Amino acid sequence: MATAIALHPLARWQTRFETVSPLAWLGLHAAALWPHWRWAGARLADGSDDPLGVAALVALLVWVVRREPLLRGAPRQGWVYAAAALTALATLALFHLPPLLGAVLAVLSLATALRSVMPSGQPWLPVAGLAVLALPVVSSLQFYAGYPLRVVTAEISTWVLQLAGLAAERSGTTMIVQGRQVIVDAPCSGVQMVWMAYFCACVVAAFSGLRDRAMLARLPAVGALVLVGNVLRNSVLVALEAQQSQVSDAVHQGVGLVVLVAVCAGVVGVMRGGRDAQD
Amino acid sequence: MSRPLIPYQPLSRTGRVLWCMALALFSALLMLFWSPAHADDSEALKAESPYFAVNSSEPGTDRLPLKSTSVDVKIAGVIADVTVTQHYRNEGQRPIEARYVFPGSTQAAVYAMKVTLGERVLTARIKEKEAARIEYQAAKREGKTSALLEQRRPNVFEMKVANILPGDDVAVELRYTELLRPTDAQYAFVFPTVVGPRYNSPAAAADNGGAVGGAYLKQGVASNASFALRVSLDTPLVVKEVASPSHEVMVDGLGSTHAAVSLKPTDKPANNRDFTLNYRLAGDRIESGLVLYRGEGEGDENFFLAMVEPPKAVAPRQINPRDYIFVVDISGSMHGYPLDTAKVLLRNLIGSLRPSDTFNVMLFSGSSRMLSPASVPATRANIDQAIRTIHEMGGGGSTEIVPALKRVAALPKAEEVSRSVIFVTDGYVSVEAEVFRLIRQNLNQFNVFSFGIGTSVNRHLIEGMARAGQGEAFIVTKPEQAAAQAERLRRIIEAPVLTQVKASFEGLDTYDVEPLQLPDVLGGRPVVVMGKWRGAWEGRFVIEGRAADGPYRQVLTAAPNGRGPSALRQLWARQRIAALSDQEALEGGSTQKAQITELGLTYSLLTQYTSFIAVDQRVRNPNPAQTPQVDQPSPLPEGVSDQAIGAEVPSTPEPGALAALLVVLGVVVAGVWPSRRRRKE
Repeated sequence: MATAIALHPLARWQTRFETVSPLAWLGLHAAALWPHWRWAGARLADGSDDPLGVAALVALLVWVVRREPLLRGAPRQGWVYAAAALTALATLALFHLPPLLGAVLAVLSLATALRSVMPSGQPWLPVAGLAVLALPVVSSLQFYAGYPLRVVTAEISTWVLQLAGLAAERSGTTMIVQGRQVIVDAPCSGVQMVWMAYFCACVVAAFSGLRDRAMLARLPAVGALVLVGNVLRNSVLVALEAQQSQVSDAVHQGVGLVVLVAVCAGVVGVMRGGRDAQD
Repeated sequence: MSRPLIPYQPLSRTGRVLWCMALALFSALLMLFWSPAHADDSEALKAESPYFAVNSSEPGTDRLPLKSTSVDVKIAGVIADVTVTQHYRNEGQRPIEARYVFPGSTQAAVYAMKVTLGERVLTARIKEKEAARIEYQAAKREGKTSALLEQRRPNVFEMKVANILPGDDVAVELRYTELLRPTDAQYAFVFPTVVGPRYNSPAAAADNGGAVGGAYLKQGVASNASFALRVSLDTPLVVKEVASPSHEVMVDGLGSTHAAVSLKPTDKPANNRDFTLNYRLAGDRIESGLVLYRGEGEGDENFFLAMVEPPKAVAPRQINPRDYIFVVDISGSMHGYPLDTAKVLLRNLIGSLRPSDTFNVMLFSGSSRMLSPASVPATRANIDQAIRTIHEMGGGGSTEIVPALKRVAALPKAEEVSRSVIFVTDGYVSVEAEVFRLIRQNLNQFNVFSFGIGTSVNRHLIEGMARAGQGEAFIVTKPEQAAAQAERLRRIIEAPVLTQVKASFEGLDTYDVEPLQLPDVLGGRPVVVMGKWRGAWEGRFVIEGRAADGPYRQVLTAAPNGRGPSALRQLWARQRIAALSDQEALEGGSTQKAQITELGLTYSLLTQYTSFIAVDQRVRNPNPAQTPQVDQPSPLPEGVSDQAIGAEVPSTPEPGALAALLVVLGVVVAGVWPSRRRRKE
């Protein structure tokens, strides 16, 4: 009987389907969402956004390839249904939503499909986070979050400089420090630092196997680190600008990189917090 | 609940030190060898800021202050004839050479120059530019007082006067004519008094052979020179309204066909912003008509000018989807009042879009940044978001308009969408030719409407952009004008009032007609045609087209026989030179040089290839080699700060994306790698 089933053409096809690698299924799923990737690729190529997403994409691919031997042959049904629903939503979004929102739905759909074949206990949130960060989101973040971040940065920097004994006041996103005007304009907003910090958090969490709930609990601390870091960077540079006639680009770069290293080191510490001690 | 334990071996002390050293070395190498993703202005020169430059060992004694400027304007019909007289006096101890840059109208046809030195009058001749330069240099070396007037840009002139002896009072008289083209039945005469400082990109500086604009007085420092301006208006219809939005004026003869306007005495400096005079005629009509001029001598050419009032705009019909890209200059020269005005303008422009329209905003200075990756629908939420962001932008940096324009041209666009690009800038750049070329190359992509904001904007750039982009130019000199100009743009772009426009003549043998092809007529703009004619003084001018409510036809008959205004000669030649210059900008190089030079010499017009030269035949300076050059400083345009001439507003940008990413990757690897190594162990 078993031989008869195995020899039946339908059964043979079924067997073939079941032996297809989960990565191949994911590849097919990704192909079904190609309009979103085409849009993201075009955005990447037209120069309207920094190509930071490539780093997140590479990290994501490395993570998936390394986990490939552990992926389940039989996906979990609940997650498959969720992935299908998200795919449908992403497709509908092509006609009704801005492309970026559609692409976010598409990467979440793919991440959900990945979740359906991942073994138990593996982190999913950092993987989904990396998938979203792989999209060209920096310009949009700059558009929607740039101004509030600039105002907050300028305001707290003003307090910091006042505490340091400098005459500082804020008007919009412009600061007058020691009588000298310094603008906290779009490139100063800290949006890039936001992306870097969350990228750092996702990569560390994904590769160190941090559980989703633990990661979620630590994300607010990441946000606080970014804010503190950007205020620190801005305050130091504004103080320098207010006291010198011209601050060189190398100093700008140097201060920015040092603060970024500190913030990312803090993020690594937060994401690994408690684990190392227990080790 | 226990966590899954990850094997971990802490680094030894030596390991930590080595790790820190490696990180420090990595950062140092980055700083040394990696060039950050720089904005376009990182290598750019700042706008020239020489202030009052005296090339002399005794700067306190070599002075040539401008004492006075007197402007006499005679407007007859739609033609303005302007005489500008400037008095200088050498108050120093030695003979000097003076260089002075000053503005003119973009439409000006400069046709005469006269230099008066005490009792001696030197009438300038038009010459080919290089020949004039050689003659000037020779006269200068020989110790003869001489004057050279050159065109730096179509609306910026440079005059040099050599061998001005101590105590000399020099009067330079310049004459030009221009055509006044009404908009919405309102006529405007503009006299620019100061050249705004122009930002030069490195490429443009090389092309221009130096920066445009001369020395500047510091912000808030007024010129000591007096300024007087008189306008006499002679029109066939009664003058109804006369007002100046820029200056306080006294008006006589309102309600008659002859009016006189002069500046009201005031303590406020009058020569640091454009003088603008607006007037309307009775019945709110545009002065339509066919004006003929017959040459004075046998064989002289005859010229005509036809101006036709278009039909009034009608309610907009069903129109194609429209997309608007607002490109806003936030460079240093826009800081303060111009940017504030731009914000008011944008609030009005974006706020008046329909929900079916889409829009995007690009802010540019040294680099450009789109506020949204792609155009977004003009919903209330999107408009509010854009306005909030625009409201808080500050000015700083250079004016890299060409990269911004290239980026706009590269934006993808659906075929059925009609795209309009609205530039908002003071135009303080000197890359006009490249900008015009880029716009012309992308005409199938968008129309260009340009808003010049400031008290003394670069009208050549603003108007040239609109001309190249088949759009319209708008000048906003005060925040309170922003709403009206935004409304005007909205009315214009809603629907063209006349399409498929054709002009023809009956009973008049015409040739060399300008323009060769008539564009669609947008709201409130008259059709203007100029050219030459042969034969008898008679004929009719017929304009035909398709208006919103059907075919349109208007016929004009020639005014009674007579001689007509001679200014038509220069106006026609100026129009032809402008067309040839546009063509040359499109083709690159000096392809139209011969034709432009010939026109300049024939009609005695200042062009980019012809100059006015006046030389006194007496040797007045026995030691001309010791003559220092003095730059006569101009006041900065009102509302323009020192930032426009080099003082950038500092900011605190984040480090370059690539360097930051490499650093973060280093930290990430450092954070993940120890735990993996320990797990293996």
